[in-house]
Amino acid sequence: MVRAILCAGACAAAGVLLAGAMKADGISEKARKLHFSSIVVDTHDDTTQRFLDGNFDLGARSSTGSIDIPRMREGNLSAIFFSIWIPSKVTGPEAVDRALVQIDAVREQVRKHPNDVVLATTAAEIREARKQGKIAALMGVEGGHMINSDLGVLRSYAALGVRYMTLTHSGNDEWADSSTDKAVHNGLSEFGKDVVREMNRLGVMVDISHVSDKTFYDALEVSKAPLIASHSSCRAICDAPRNMTDQMMKDLGAKGGVVQINYHVGFLSQEFRNAEKADPEINKAISARVMERCGDNEGCQLIEGDRITREYVAQGKLPRVDFAKIIEHIDHAVKAAGVDHVGLGSDFDGANMPYGMEDATKLPAITEALLQRGYSEGDVKKILGENTLRVMAEVERVSRELNSAPKK
Amino acid sequence: MRRVLAFLCVSVCLSAGFFFAFSASADDIAERAKKLHFSSIVLDTHADTPQRMLTGKFDLGKRDTEGHVDIPRMREGGLNAQFFSIFISGRILGPPAIQQACDQIDIVRQNIQQHNKNLMLATTAEEIRRAHAQGKIAILMGMEGGHMIGNDIHMVRNYARLGVRYMTLAHFYNDEWADSSTDKPAHNGLTDFGKEVVREMNRQGMLVDISHVSDKTFYDALEVSRVPLIASHSSVRAISNHPRNMSDDMIKALAAKGGVIQVNYERNYLSEEYRAAFATIAGDVSRMEEKFKKECGDDNVCIGKAEIKLTRDLTDAGKLPHVSWEKIVEHIDHVVKLVGPEHVGMGSDFDGADMPEGLEDCSKLPKITEALLRKGYKEDDIRKILGGNILRVMEQSEKVSKEMQAVQ
Repeated sequence: MVRAILCAGACAAAGVLLAGAMKADGISEKARKLHFSSIVVDTHDDTTQRFLDGNFDLGARSSTGSIDIPRMREGNLSAIFFSIWIPSKVTGPEAVDRALVQIDAVREQVRKHPNDVVLATTAAEIREARKQGKIAALMGVEGGHMINSDLGVLRSYAALGVRYMTLTHSGNDEWADSSTDKAVHNGLSEFGKDVVREMNRLGVMVDISHVSDKTFYDALEVSKAPLIASHSSCRAICDAPRNMTDQMMKDLGAKGGVVQINYHVGFLSQEFRNAEKADPEINKAISARVMERCGDNEGCQLIEGDRITREYVAQGKLPRVDFAKIIEHIDHAVKAAGVDHVGLGSDFDGANMPYGMEDATKLPAITEALLQRGYSEGDVKKILGENTLRVMAEVERVSRELNSAPKK
Repeated sequence: MRRVLAFLCVSVCLSAGFFFAFSASADDIAERAKKLHFSSIVLDTHADTPQRMLTGKFDLGKRDTEGHVDIPRMREGGLNAQFFSIFISGRILGPPAIQQACDQIDIVRQNIQQHNKNLMLATTAEEIRRAHAQGKIAILMGMEGGHMIGNDIHMVRNYARLGVRYMTLAHFYNDEWADSSTDKPAHNGLTDFGKEVVREMNRQGMLVDISHVSDKTFYDALEVSRVPLIASHSSVRAISNHPRNMSDDMIKALAAKGGVIQVNYERNYLSEEYRAAFATIAGDVSRMEEKFKKECGDDNVCIGKAEIKLTRDLTDAGKLPHVSWEKIVEHIDHVVKLVGPEHVGMGSDFDGADMPEGLEDCSKLPKITEALLRKGYKEDDIRKILGGNILRVMEQSEKVSKEMQAVQ
């Protein structure tokens, strides 16, 4: 009831705006102003994979992929979490080594672009970067397998600047179950709970994207700080195990956490997911072509996967998903968890992007769409980044508290 | 050249004579030495205390009856800046070496945090001075062996970020890119990659440590490095003819480029008599060492303890000679005579070697200051030897690093 009234009011206002100030790209002056005065945080980008072959320059506008400095500037992406990721099947010390290679790759890119990018490890540093007109680069480790069950390694990552860790990737690790693997730990093992506690102490955000529902609930119970889902969408709209149920989002929000909506078409659209399921040969064929072009270059695989998927869409073999689906998920998550508990976790450079959200330059369209839906400017700012900044600040507070607590 | 030296000697002797005759009783010197020592930055570049931390039974905050270093004894000996050595066996390579090195860095950092009323992590000369001004002990980290980078340049950068401020290019065995002084040459000094490692160390502000390396590796490093080298724990070959020690020519070449040799207190390196006697029973000793390794497993502290007990027993049995702490002063004085007081310092090898009689632990360090004063050394020169020389090289290293980092 309340929503209907709000919508009527907003629609009237939007109508005025549309009549008066809409630019060619469909972004109103109001939305543009709001967007470019906001801190826009994206908690998940796989651009790191592109750094690894040594040929990618973050500073140059690229015709492929979704992220580089010029396009981040154009879309006002102010703070980006570069993902440290290796496949779940890589374990042991090799996983540690490869994660460290990627941390170094991110930090070297930051060093090479001192006028545009600065490493940030706290909410305050993101705000400071913004003041200096720089993009804040952060790091998240996507998969607990990369610590090789060693808290010393976790602490080393934290010391190197990593600020969240996804407890698993698509396979279970040694201490936590994934949503896309057969459960073996019944959620978090005892050691897994120690990992979460240590993350709290270190001020590393606990990321529950990818994990099984039971792992999520275990983490929610153990963690003294709010959780994040760095790149997950709504299961009620698209029934992928990687997405969150309304109840999970509600519980996440009740403890102060935030779900960061993933733009991957397979997580946004049930129709797309059904089409993939109906004809498994399509994904097999895409994989085969990707492997042919990229071999084991994971950065190439991710970019080519997106490009070839688009070809199938263009041929009508897979349904076309519009970026409006992102807004639908945001709106649904807001209804389930509250407007203080939703944000953006694109999965750029690591997934298949919907039409209209091909890269970071398109982000103002989200602001425009939310305003059109009747969201207040304050609420849009929250979704764009302030919610994530709030969680970061809270995680930092908990960390300080745990570190100052007298030792037993 | 000789004339100049002779002249210098005469004038030093004269002033020393003057000093003795008119203004100082023995007690005055003791008093002056004490004042000098406890007002100086006393910096030691090599202690293996992290091995003791790894046992899990060691508390750095408590005075121990074993080992050489703990906070109470550091306070007593005026030792206020200490490089803790990150060391794993040179037989461990690749990703496992990386993970274990990270664990050791972590354990040092945790110990510092645990004792933050007394200790402070320092990574620059300025931070050492700040710690001193605050009455805290500055803890630094040095990595003893290039094998711990896992043959990958990215780890030079990551270790630097974690706070490591020197790296010994090899340990007892050659690594993948540098020859050791105690292994059969395999690379003819530094490989091309080894040279790249040295350049990257310069860029990262990590001092290049040539203790342990072959003579050829030393000369290669000397040629490549843009920053003066250090020998973190090496003594004088002219006094004890051990391959781990440096020849006079090497010391001259090191000094000509501004470097510093930090005298090692190990009996074998201090005394030719001891070294020769030890060599004759080396077969027996290595058989015993094998036995210790079997008994102790990979507990390096246990092995070290058994070894020291063995040499004590052999000394008592008259099979090994006694070695006095005064040998340390002899080594320092040899270097000073050779290249002046700007190129020598202290790299005890505490907790990793067999200490001479009279310098059983770090509480005995004021004796060195007093002995140097009695030899007629100027107070300023003694301060350089106690720590000033290393601070100078660190400052140079920081300057070069800044310049190199700015290049994209």
